Amino acid sequence: MSAHIDGSGERRPTAGILALSMPYQVVAAVALAAAAVLACLHLAMVFLHVAPSNTVTKQHGQAVDDWIYPEFEQNWKLFAPNPLQQNVSVQVRAEVLSDRDGSRRTTGWIDLTAQDVEDIRGNVFPSHTQQNQLRRAIDWYGNAHDEEGRPKGMRGRLSEAYMRRIVLLRIEGAGARADVGGKVERIQLRRTARPVASPHWSTEKRSTESSSRQMPWWDITDADRSRTETSR
Amino acid sequence: MTAPSPAPVAAPARVPFDRKLARAAQTVTSRALGPYQTAIVRIGFSLTWLFFLVREFPHRHEMYGPDGPWSFDLARRLIADNRAFTVLMWSDGRLWFEVVYGLAVAAAVLLLLGWHTRAVSVVFMVGALSLQNRSVFLGDGGDNVVHLVSIYLTLIRCGQVWSLDARRAARRAARGEEGARKVELTGPALWVVLGGFLVAATWFSPVTGEWWIYVLLWVLWLGQGLWWLVEQYAPGEPRVLLDVLANLAHNAALTVLMAEVCLIYATAGWYKIQGSRWQDGTALFYPLHLDYFTPWPALSELLASSGIMVMLLSYGTVIVQVAFPFTLFKRKVKNVLLVAMMLEHAGIALLLGLPAFSMAMIAADAVFLPTVFLVWLGARAARARDLLLRREPAAAGLPPQRPAREAGGEPGGEADGEAAPRTLVG
Repeated sequence: MSAHIDGSGERRPTAGILALSMPYQVVAAVALAAAAVLACLHLAMVFLHVAPSNTVTKQHGQAVDDWIYPEFEQNWKLFAPNPLQQNVSVQVRAEVLSDRDGSRRTTGWIDLTAQDVEDIRGNVFPSHTQQNQLRRAIDWYGNAHDEEGRPKGMRGRLSEAYMRRIVLLRIEGAGARADVGGKVERIQLRRTARPVASPHWSTEKRSTESSSRQMPWWDITDADRSRTETSR
Repeated sequence: MTAPSPAPVAAPARVPFDRKLARAAQTVTSRALGPYQTAIVRIGFSLTWLFFLVREFPHRHEMYGPDGPWSFDLARRLIADNRAFTVLMWSDGRLWFEVVYGLAVAAAVLLLLGWHTRAVSVVFMVGALSLQNRSVFLGDGGDNVVHLVSIYLTLIRCGQVWSLDARRAARRAARGEEGARKVELTGPALWVVLGGFLVAATWFSPVTGEWWIYVLLWVLWLGQGLWWLVEQYAPGEPRVLLDVLANLAHNAALTVLMAEVCLIYATAGWYKIQGSRWQDGTALFYPLHLDYFTPWPALSELLASSGIMVMLLSYGTVIVQVAFPFTLFKRKVKNVLLVAMMLEHAGIALLLGLPAFSMAMIAADAVFLPTVFLVWLGARAARARDLLLRREPAAAGLPPQRPAREAGGEPGGEADGEAAPRTLVG
């Protein structure tokens, strides 16, 4: 019971701020104010973070970012303003030192995205390794590089290293999905975008021509396949 | 609800503003609002994360392990820059990784059951943040919601009902004074163990995590210790004060959580309005043709083949998302939209192959479910359990699990005997 009847016949609460005596009430009141201010401030920051660029964020964007990143980062523009309208895929070819005769050869284009798609088909619960890993990695790679394909700072270089390691895991070694049968010395990536055709009921003319972009050849170093100290 | 017309008869006496304010202050300090809603959110998110961790168990090394494509070294370089919190940065050892993954799974199970909910919710948050922040480029919207809610849940008293904690409290109450005096050892033991972890975490704080995470962890840990001391030695006013503080944190965090869900839908909806594909009613057609989101191409093709259907669903999605936050003031409309959104997410789970994301969103939506429905659901679940285990209905042995304070009326408030917990949303 949260209330009882005291001698004067008045209901006196046994919980909450009204159940406290003066000094305790002050503490509770201060806490109440602090909780309210903190909640409002947090919500305001989250709001400014998800809102479009505006007068406030142009002036105080840094304060908002400091508050939000890294733990409260969020992006709810799911399929917005427009859904993605093209299938992006990643192909790789590699220069391989053959295990058998020590010869050097260049493989044809291996479609890594096709592997993912094959794994996702008929899958009730696709793994992040199938649905997100490569898809998001190539997306990040694009964002972390400028128009000429130069890396933007540290993140650009990290995204390159990440791509190399994803690729190696899939094409080198006996456990790889598409083992090239040797030691990979260099790789080249190609990103292909294939627009989804307009719906059949639409009169809109949309080109469904694929467009590809090749990245430079990258040397593979031990850092791209290195294992960490403790597990070696 | 009284009609807005100035009816001379049933017009309630006008309550002065300061009275209302005092009443509101009493409400938010005396009760942790929404006991059923917060419990369903707890259950929903722990279940989502548990499913996810179990499903990814075979892939765990590739996703979060020290030798995965996003290697320990790459993660270290990024985290030195963004200061995200992950205990996986403490060591690049295989064993440590397995321990953390195992603890994340265990925390999800225990949070689901509501075992020492407050402490476990903190471990749950540490587990979720550690894994997700270790490989940020792997997640999607579902991970994002789990991430945010796991932080908010540490401040929410989400074990008031449907939890082992509630069962323990009910049993103790049933035993009366004697039961209340029995000293509990699990809690203090857990507290000591977590204290050790906390010291380690603080030791590693230069490597990972922003300062406020450590403040939060320390405050929660010290608060738990203080709570125990006060329960033992000062059960009077200090105990009431601690309860007030916990209720305040709960109610503030719950408000933030609810507003967060509204922001999610508002953002998703308002940005869509600006998109040409959502305007011309073909938007849904495109995701149904993306290779990464079509586990069942024939099914997607079937749905995408009807222009009218695609347009109805596209428009419906935008309307529901934009409208939802405003309907919170109108209970019936809110409930209709809530059902619509949950069904849509269930559809997304299957059609786009995003079950974890959909489950997380449904769990977030659940914070707005009406209390009557949740109570009914709880009763049904209890009956199903009793039937399954072929045992007598729980009512025979134990008092029903209800939050302690709910039984009594509010002082000076809407204290009629029934006093169903009217929440902000119920």
